[in-house]
Amino acid sequence: MPRKDLLDISSLSREEIDHLLDQSVPFKELFTRSVKKVPALKGKSVLMLFYEPSTRTHSSFEVAAKRLSADVTNFDVGHSSITKGESVRETVETLQAMRTDFIIVRHARSGLPGMIAKQTRASVINAGDGAHAHPTQALLDAFTIKEKFPDPVGKKVLIIGDILHSRVARSTSTILKKIGVDVAYLGPGSLVPQKGPENIRRFTNYQEAMAWSPDVVYLLRVQMERQEAQFFPSLREYHRLYGITDARLEEIRQRGLYLMHPGPVNRGVELCDAVMDYERSLINDQVENGIAVRMAVLYWLKPDAGSES
Amino acid sequence: MNLLIQNALIATEESPKLVHGDVLVEGGVIRKIGKGIKVPDCCRVIDAKERILMPGMFDAHVHFREPGFEAKETIATGSEAAINGGITGVVMMPNTVPAIDSATVVGQVLAIAAKNSRIPVYTSGCVSMGRKGMELAGIDGMRALGVKMLTDDGDTTADAAVLFRAMQYAGEMGMFFASHCEVPELAGPRALNEGAMSYRLGIQGSPACAEEIIIDRDIRLAHATGAHIHIQHVSSKIGMETIRWWKQRGDVKVTAEVAPHHLIFCEDDIGDYDTHYKMNPPLRTKADNAALLEGLLDGTFDIIATDHAPHTPFEKSLDFVNAPNGITGLDTALVSLYHHFVATGKFGWDLVVKRFAAEPRRLMGLPVPAIKEGSAADLLLFNTAGETTFTHEFMKSKSQNTPFLDKTLNGSVDLVVLGEDVLLDRV
Repeated sequence: MPRKDLLDISSLSREEIDHLLDQSVPFKELFTRSVKKVPALKGKSVLMLFYEPSTRTHSSFEVAAKRLSADVTNFDVGHSSITKGESVRETVETLQAMRTDFIIVRHARSGLPGMIAKQTRASVINAGDGAHAHPTQALLDAFTIKEKFPDPVGKKVLIIGDILHSRVARSTSTILKKIGVDVAYLGPGSLVPQKGPENIRRFTNYQEAMAWSPDVVYLLRVQMERQEAQFFPSLREYHRLYGITDARLEEIRQRGLYLMHPGPVNRGVELCDAVMDYERSLINDQVENGIAVRMAVLYWLKPDAGSES
Repeated sequence: MNLLIQNALIATEESPKLVHGDVLVEGGVIRKIGKGIKVPDCCRVIDAKERILMPGMFDAHVHFREPGFEAKETIATGSEAAINGGITGVVMMPNTVPAIDSATVVGQVLAIAAKNSRIPVYTSGCVSMGRKGMELAGIDGMRALGVKMLTDDGDTTADAAVLFRAMQYAGEMGMFFASHCEVPELAGPRALNEGAMSYRLGIQGSPACAEEIIIDRDIRLAHATGAHIHIQHVSSKIGMETIRWWKQRGDVKVTAEVAPHHLIFCEDDIGDYDTHYKMNPPLRTKADNAALLEGLLDGTFDIIATDHAPHTPFEKSLDFVNAPNGITGLDTALVSLYHHFVATGKFGWDLVVKRFAAEPRRLMGLPVPAIKEGSAADLLLFNTAGETTFTHEFMKSKSQNTPFLDKTLNGSVDLVVLGEDVLLDRV
C-alpha cells in the first residue's frame, strides 16, 4: 500500500523499505542512458519548501522530480534561520490552495513536516527536520551499503560525529538496524546521547570503536553552525580525537573499510584531504544514489485524491 | 437554602473508612450528621445513593491568566472550571501581565475575583519585580492584602542571592516561598525530558538534574534563613528523594506538591509530538511516576496541585518547541485521581481529602472544611459509579489543552455546595 507522506524511517515497515530500495534499482539504471527522463509523474507538481539552506538535498530532489517529468517549483521562504509556526501554517494554507501534489520540506524544527502533512492533501516528504529525521538520506545510505553488501545482515557501520544534533544519524541508524546491520556511534561524550537507543553501541574513544571491527565508517558533518553551546574545546582537538587523519586513513585502507559521508565535507575536521581520493570512499555513490531513491519515493507516494487538479 | 443529603458515604482525612450517613446543611453550616435524619421543613432532599461525600478540593497552583492573557483564561472561566472539577478554592500564580508583584495588581486581581468568581480565589505574589529575578517585589504591600505565598513561578529566581535576601526579609512576616525549580542554562528550550524521547524526537531535552539542583538549592536557602519553602510540581525521583531527605533532617520548614499529570503520564506519551503532553517541569519516566506516587503515599508530598495552565488551541498547535508549556487540570484533576489511583486501590479517599482538600488550605493558613457537625458547608458528592467524558462542552476552562480531551474516565463530580449555594448540581 502506498503512503501519502514520508516523514521518518521508524514508521516504515521492513517490506516498505525493501520495496523502496528495490524500486530504486531501475531508476538508477536510467542514469546510464542518454535520455534519463521518464514520464512517470508528467503533469504532477512538486513544491520545494526549504526553510534551511541546502544545496545537495535540494538539487537531488529537484533532479529526481525532473527526471520523473514532474513540474518543480521553488517556494521562496527567504532563508530566515528559524521560522515560527505561525507563518508555516499560513504558508501551508497557501500551498493547499495551489493544489500541488508533492511538498518537499526542510525545516530547523523537529516534527514540523509532520504538522504540515496533517494540514495538506499533498504528499509531504521530509527533507530533514531539526535533529529528528532525514528519511531519504537514510534510504540512500541503505541503498549504497546494499550495493556493496547485497546481504548486509551482521555488517557493522560505525557512525562518527555529532550524534546529538544529527537527523542523519537517527534516520540512517534506524534503517540500518531494520535491514539487519549493526550500528555503533562514536563521538565526544557531549555529542553522543547517553540515553539514546539501547540497541546501538556507544563509543567515545576512537581506538575502542575500531576494535569493534566496523565494515563501514560513516562520518557526519560537524554542524558548527547548529551548536548553540560549546560541546568540544576546538576543531583541532575534535580532528585529533575523532577525525580521519592521514594515519587513520592508512589503517582504514589496510582494513579495506568503506567510508561514507552525507556531505558537505569539512576538510581538516571530519577528514583529511587524502580521503577524497580514497578508493573505497562511497561519498560520490551516495550523491548518485540519492537521486535514484528520491525518484523511487516520489513514484511510490500517493497524494490524497482531493489534490488532483 | 437548607439541604439534607441522605445515604452518603462520608470521606475524611483521618481514615480510609467511609461512614454511611445523612448530612443536614442549614444556613451554610453542617448541622447534623447521622442516620435517618428526619426531613425538616423547607428543605431540599438529595438521595446521594452512596456517592462519596467529602469537602471541596483546594488547588494551590493555578494560572488564571488575568490580567494579560484573557484569550487563554479569565478568573471567571478558571473558577468555573474549578467548580466543575469539585474544587472550591484556588491560589493564582503571579505570571500574568502585568505580573502580580505589587499591592496594586494584587488589589485588581482580588477585585475581579470578588466580582466574577463563585469560589474564593487567592493569589500568590512575585518574589521579584516582573519575575525578573533582580529587584524585590512589593512584598509588604502584598502581604497587607493577604498574600501568603511568594513565587516567581514559571521561572526559577535564578540569582540565589536575590532569593536568599527575600527569604531573610519576608520569612518572618508570616509568608512562605514557592519555587518552580529549574537551572535555566541546563533546561535548554524547556520542551521535554532529556532521555529516550528527546533523542527520538530530535529536540534538546531538559535533564532531571536541572530541576533537582534548584530543589536542593532552595531548601538550603530556606534552611539557612529559617524561611518556609514550598517546592512546586516535583517531577523526578531524585527531586522527591531530596525533599524526603531534608524532611527527615527535620530542621527546615519544607513542603512540597505533586501534580496529577506527573503521577499519571510519562515522556512516552508525547508520542508523535503531542503538545498536550508538554509541560514544565516535563513528563519524565515510568520510574519517576512510581517514585512520585511513593512520595505521595509516605507524606513527602504535602499537597496535590494541578498547575492548571491554559493555552489557546492555536498556541498548542505550534511545533513542539514553540508551543507553550502546560496543560489544564481543574476540570479533570479529581476524576483523574479517582480513575487512576482510588479506583485501582493505590490510595484511599482519605489521602485525596488530606492532600487535595485539607493540607493545601493549611499551607495557606485557611480554615479546613470537613464533613463534621459545625463545619461550614464546603462539600461535594463524587459518584464512583459515574463516568465523565471531557468534551469541549463539558469542560468550563476557556482552553482545552489537556491529554484527557474527549477521553472518558470513571467517576464524576455530581454536586458542589459552598456555604448556602449549590455551585454545581448534576445529581
